[in-house]
Amino acid sequence: MDTEENDLDLVARLKRLDAAAAPPLGFGYEALIDRHASRQRRERRRLAFARGTASALVIAMVGVSVWRFDQQPVDSPRAEVEPLPAVDAPASQPRIVRADTYFAVAALEDHIASIDDALNDARLRGGPAEVARLERTRALLVDSYTSVRYAEMVNANF
Amino acid sequence: MQRLAEIQVPADELRAARAGDVAARGALFERVAPATLGIIRRLVVQKAMAEDLLQDTLIAMFEHLDDYRGEAPFGVWVRSIAVSRCLMAFRSPWHRARVALESWTEESWTGPAEAESRTSDLIDLDRALARLSPVTRAVVWLYDVEGWSHDEIAKAFDRTLSFSKSQLARGHARLRDDLLPPAQSGIGIPLRSEFDGH
Repeated sequence: MDTEENDLDLVARLKRLDAAAAPPLGFGYEALIDRHASRQRRERRRLAFARGTASALVIAMVGVSVWRFDQQPVDSPRAEVEPLPAVDAPASQPRIVRADTYFAVAALEDHIASIDDALNDARLRGGPAEVARLERTRALLVDSYTSVRYAEMVNANF
Repeated sequence: MQRLAEIQVPADELRAARAGDVAARGALFERVAPATLGIIRRLVVQKAMAEDLLQDTLIAMFEHLDDYRGEAPFGVWVRSIAVSRCLMAFRSPWHRARVALESWTEESWTGPAEAESRTSDLIDLDRALARLSPVTRAVVWLYDVEGWSHDEIAKAFDRTLSFSKSQLARGHARLRDDLLPPAQSGIGIPLRSEFDGH
């Protein structure tokens, strides 16, 4: 009962508050229109800035794509002018590099390169026995290298 | 100040305003703007935000003058625009963040000149009302002062009937607690028990 009476009193007071003097309006019709126009101008500027930024980003992305495309290795001019016979063409690299054979191939290539260097030195300074020993070693390494590459190729095809 | 819901606009003034006559539009502004600010400031406490909403409401009013069909007083139509703008603001996360940020520093509506024209109980009520949550304050004001039904409030908030009733009860309880002395509000803890004297 008390609560109902309090509520009625509260409502009466709220209505008196509503009837009390309102705060003065800070602007007139002209100011309303001016503020609306300036807000629209601000929004248009913001939209133009957003569009400009988006366009710049798209242009930058296209530029980067073109630049990366230009960086791709191209066929050598010699290959275009004088195509070699198919048998002399270097063996194509397998598309998928296997980690287990990759290290073996790299080690064999390094070893063959070091033998080549030693062979050059031996031909200049060493005796024929040394040259023959190095050539035998190189032949064995090249055989091993060929076997590994063949195995890789067969594996890639299957 | 005339209440917004009671404001009528003469047909010729409305016709001229619809046609874009600047003088008629200025007169229409003078007629409805103070009362529109009156209701918006009750729903939105922050002064800058209330002025932004007043701007939005009046621009929407001028842009949609042709949509007013004359079935209710012109002020009722403007009030519906103002209330819907305020409720949209309540739902906006941006406005919620703004309210949270500005609530400590925002300029108060009750300046010294305005406070002088009121009695202290109205100032207390004004402050208690401002302390309610935006949604509760809007439900209390729309139901108690603007005369909306629970059904209308529920539709405006896109909620159930019981939402409106519970918000109203909660708002009344909070206002009672804020305005009445602790002994009368029923939640105060008496300093001495009634058995202390015996």
